[in-house]
Amino acid sequence: MYGWTGTTLRIDLTKGIATREATNMTLAHEYIGARGLGGRILTDEVDHNVDALSPANKLIFAPGPFTGTFAPSAGRFNVITKSPLNGTIAASNSGGTFGAELKYAGYDMVIIEGKSPKPVYLWIKNDQVELRDASGLWGLNAHDATDAVRELTDEDAKVACIGPAGEHLALMGCIMNEMHRAAGRTGVGAVMGSKNLKAFAVVGTGSVTVADPVAFKAAVMKARGKIQAHPVGGAGLKAYGTNVLVNILNETGALPTRNFQDGYFPTADKTGGESLAAKQLVRPKGCFSCIISCGRVTKVDNPEYAGIGEGPEYETAWGFGADCGIDDLDAITKANFLCNEYGMDTIACASTIACAMELFERGYLTLADTDGIDLRWGDAHAMVEMVRKCGEGEGFGKRLAEGSYRLADSVGHPELSMTVKKQEMPAYDPRGVQGIGLNYATNNRGGCHVRGYTIAVEVLGNGMSMDPHVTEGKAGLGIAFQNLTAALDSSGACLFSTFGIGGDELAEMLTALTGVSYTVEEFVKIGERIWNNERMWNLDNGYTSADDTLPQRLLDEPILTGPSKGEVNHLGEMLPEYYSLRGWDEDGVPTEATLESLSL
Amino acid sequence: MAGLPGVTPGSPGPAVCEWSAPLNIKYFATFRDLTGETACVLENPPATVGELLEVLSARYGTPFRRAAFEGEDLSPFLVLLVNGRNVRHTGGRTTPLREQDEVCVFPMVAGG
Repeated sequence: MYGWTGTTLRIDLTKGIATREATNMTLAHEYIGARGLGGRILTDEVDHNVDALSPANKLIFAPGPFTGTFAPSAGRFNVITKSPLNGTIAASNSGGTFGAELKYAGYDMVIIEGKSPKPVYLWIKNDQVELRDASGLWGLNAHDATDAVRELTDEDAKVACIGPAGEHLALMGCIMNEMHRAAGRTGVGAVMGSKNLKAFAVVGTGSVTVADPVAFKAAVMKARGKIQAHPVGGAGLKAYGTNVLVNILNETGALPTRNFQDGYFPTADKTGGESLAAKQLVRPKGCFSCIISCGRVTKVDNPEYAGIGEGPEYETAWGFGADCGIDDLDAITKANFLCNEYGMDTIACASTIACAMELFERGYLTLADTDGIDLRWGDAHAMVEMVRKCGEGEGFGKRLAEGSYRLADSVGHPELSMTVKKQEMPAYDPRGVQGIGLNYATNNRGGCHVRGYTIAVEVLGNGMSMDPHVTEGKAGLGIAFQNLTAALDSSGACLFSTFGIGGDELAEMLTALTGVSYTVEEFVKIGERIWNNERMWNLDNGYTSADDTLPQRLLDEPILTGPSKGEVNHLGEMLPEYYSLRGWDEDGVPTEATLESLSL
Repeated sequence: MAGLPGVTPGSPGPAVCEWSAPLNIKYFATFRDLTGETACVLENPPATVGELLEVLSARYGTPFRRAAFEGEDLSPFLVLLVNGRNVRHTGGRTTPLREQDEVCVFPMVAGG
């Protein structure tokens, strides 16, 4: 067995037993691993009607074939489950070192089923698998829980765990690993909490077997060289982190501001990567086998927000920054630290607070709702306090923890939730960048940027450049990105490796690693298969073409100021072509011919 | 920033706009290191983006020129916005500069 370990571990929390089984290699070849394979297993084994927070849902931890190898930035794993936020397949992708360790322990997937009658943590050391009492860990934040689990198991254990947010089933609860990395989106932490599983610790002493070591080494060195030679992968991300995007998105007029009321934030520079590097950066940090090091170890000296931790990434700096009308970088970084400790998706948390601010400013929420806190635009203290409340599930924080859609809907104004399929959109305004709007609208897990990052072409000019303000060509662009990313996510490689390499290099490395021949066309076709599998799950769950849309604000209300002033998103000009190019009918349903061509 | 550095009396120099308002230029990321500035104001700016980059290269030296140009063309790793529009979609180095334009100079950046 090459690339894959050939072994899947199944944990029944209800009965407290573990069983090993052979990984379904037919599916592994067709879906690669991680997001693709885990998603297919979920659709095969879980009834789409189950309550996502019930024992009937499953929680799958899955690295990919590259994970644990020296392929560039090959430290990724996915957590796959039915999302409690919106019912989609929640394949939440994380870096760090946990995924590689899981692979070294010998597993392609760990499928967690049922619900433990009491809090437990899972401890795996190679073949040794134990469920241990976690009563003493329940209530600990993600940092303290990680330390405690290491003390109880092995000081070198890699630990994925939930914080208090996952415990109280916050729909923005994420799974933290190595304290600062997150499987962040779509509420996977709440599913872990619903199963009374506090933590998952692993030590592996094995390795990944390579089919053709000579060819693999050559392909990897070529790919590494391309990434290192590229100004972004080689130096830019290491110097400034992802937060370098604040200024270019702002100056393009696509930095969502005050809950997407505007697309330009005049003082955004105070919150950008340049300011972070000057004020807070301790050192850059990479995940397993990373040659990019986009991570930020940061320190805040300001006594009000003092602390040391990691972040913020761009999305986080935007969310707690411009989207809340805040330009205090110390407060933003503090909010990030709190999210990491409580185990919360920073995008969802920040966007929900921005939504709450707008609801408050418009009088739809009052001081009686917000526990007496004046929730005004630009109030950094109020924002940080809301993050704390949200993490604790305290008072108004309980409502925030359910995300902006449910919050806005509860006061009769769902239109003020900046979500797609109930998931908060990230940091790119679709009125200033047309193609990303189409990507948000059609994304299988709702508002998401990483599964169709057209920004690379529309704003950053990486590889090629398309005008962000035009709609022509964006359907094809979006599909190309969505398919490639689906395959890449399934391989265990990091999305950022594509700032330097593409499908050709990925297919070449995967072939040498696994001994299974993948052309770039086949690699991308797998991505298309994964995308359609996720689409079919959504349709089975009641989603329709009516859900392939954006908040009405983005379609009707022009950006008020800045370079994209006057712009709205023209989704209607792109969506029919998108359906057509996808091989879907006019209702967005894959045709029989499409499904057949994908072996679905 | 006053005048046009690198342009000596009698030399042809770059064409100069007829309008007299200064041009605001903002630098980001590595261009802040290359220029030692976050922004500058250019009096009597030239008429096109290409000429502007020549002027700025003369002011800031070879590192700036290397970051701005690849041969005669704009560097593929330069992102230059005029009023928020990437000049790759408005004519590249021939993109005209007009009164009250704002120019933003970025290296290629990425994230997500």
